Amino acid sequence: MVAPRWSLWQPGNRHIFAYLLLLPAVLLTAAIIVYPILSAIDLSFQKIKIAKLGRSRAPWTLANYEELFTSAEFYQAIWVTISLVATVTILSYVIGLATAVMVNQHFRGRKLARVLVAVPWAVPSVMAAIIWWWLFDSSFGLINWALVRSGLSSEMIPWLSTPGAAFFVIVVVMVWKGYPFISVIMLAGLQSIPVELYDAAKVDGASAWNRFRFITLPGLRSVRGIALILIMLWVFRDFPIIYILTGGGPQRTTQTLAIMTYQEAFKFHDFGFAAAIGVITLIISVIASWFMVRRSDEPLY
Amino acid sequence: MSRSRRESAILYAVVIVVIVILVFPLYWMFNTSLAPATRLRSFPPVFVQPEPTLAAYQSIFAERPIGVWLRNSAVVALSSTALSMFVSVLAGYSISRIRARGSQAIGLFFLMSRMLPSTLIIIPLFVSFRQLQLIGDLKSLVLAHATFITPFAVWMLKGYFDTIPAELEDAAMIDGCTPLSALVRVVLPLSAPGLAATTLYGFVLSWNDFVFARTFLVANQNAWTVNVGVASLKGEYLTEWNEIMAGSLIAMLPIVIAYLFLERFLVSGLTAGSSK
Repeated sequence: MVAPRWSLWQPGNRHIFAYLLLLPAVLLTAAIIVYPILSAIDLSFQKIKIAKLGRSRAPWTLANYEELFTSAEFYQAIWVTISLVATVTILSYVIGLATAVMVNQHFRGRKLARVLVAVPWAVPSVMAAIIWWWLFDSSFGLINWALVRSGLSSEMIPWLSTPGAAFFVIVVVMVWKGYPFISVIMLAGLQSIPVELYDAAKVDGASAWNRFRFITLPGLRSVRGIALILIMLWVFRDFPIIYILTGGGPQRTTQTLAIMTYQEAFKFHDFGFAAAIGVITLIISVIASWFMVRRSDEPLY
Repeated sequence: MSRSRRESAILYAVVIVVIVILVFPLYWMFNTSLAPATRLRSFPPVFVQPEPTLAAYQSIFAERPIGVWLRNSAVVALSSTALSMFVSVLAGYSISRIRARGSQAIGLFFLMSRMLPSTLIIIPLFVSFRQLQLIGDLKSLVLAHATFITPFAVWMLKGYFDTIPAELEDAAMIDGCTPLSALVRVVLPLSAPGLAATTLYGFVLSWNDFVFARTFLVANQNAWTVNVGVASLKGEYLTEWNEIMAGSLIAMLPIVIAYLFLERFLVSGLTAGSSK
């Protein structure tokens, strides 16, 4: 008897086939994601400016982290990040939920209303920033015109160069771009709530508010967690909206950790220091996404 | 369940007011793009252009290399999506079908890598690409985009492959197919809608990118993608808002259309993940 020739297709070699299939994707991510992350961590422990990069490595030092934890700028960036994430998430959630409930009602033209409510989701961040830039333009923007015209403001507001106002503009753009995401997910959640629950509650004489509170809100629990985490991570990591509108200014009042990382690297060429801030954002992202992955694996009830 | 006249009137009023407010910025963009240059810096603003003109569209094509930028965006989006789809089909299929040691962990890594901060990854990536002399070259962008599309694509495709009964492949293999040809001949044709949606989404992700394009290509205007190009139109001493709005509209049109097809697919993917 002749021993059968080795073949990849033998059932015993199925795991080898599995690894071979995974290999191209793993190589690509190893080169463009894993290796850069490891080398960023390495960079964060070196005092290194752009000119020297890639030639020789500087000695290991904790200087970047020491500088970071003693710099007021870093704590300001943390505060800006937290305020922005919280404000945008809450507003997007409220508007997203309200619009989802609205287009879940029965009325003619509801399909069109659903599309229109979701449309800003499709607008690329760069374009969303540019549209609102024009609306908030200090000299000829529509918003300044409306404020002055209605008497709410006595003069044109230089939105993007005034500290609190610039933050407000960023919030508006992000909420406009972010609420539809919540809205479409919540709509899917609303549609999964059995109509019988509402009918039964009506028979029992529950008010509209109580039906919302005791049927709708609990019914959305399963989709709410994932929607909120995704939107928080999006605000946390956003680059284009803030970069295009303010670059983090004025006086760093819109400088989140993500923007600070980028500016330290590509504006001030302090790569080691930038990498240290980036490592902090990485840790936060990993914790948040781990939480999300865990959560999505849990059974619902 | 019927509503009184009064209630439906209120509902309609609310729906219309809310939608007008939410969609107004897009209308304003369209409206501005049709304005003649002379009317941009005058008050009161014009809500409906009395003499709409396509002058802004003509001048942006005549005076700016927007044609080149659009082509760059398209080339990068198509190449990176193609590269990513190739690796993601194989990986998604492997994770969906074969339980091999470690492959679940790799799948989990893909899932989490969607959430990593690109502003960190871009720092060492910039250094590596500079050493490879890829800065200013569209290839740098294709590689970066393909990699960032892959985690999304792997999971979208895995979800799709999960819905296709494994018995079909088993039958094909009994008939003499190898596992690889079973994938190509049986699974892929059945997954056509999933492949199409994933491809479209990959295209959208690449087209929408700003941070990589801006960082790798900033010095070489001929290699700019349309997002970098359009964003650069502001920042000069006088902004021709009608041109920027015209350029932005052209740049986002393919994406908005893509979303109309994609929305249901994306939502079902997201909600499936949360209520598994």
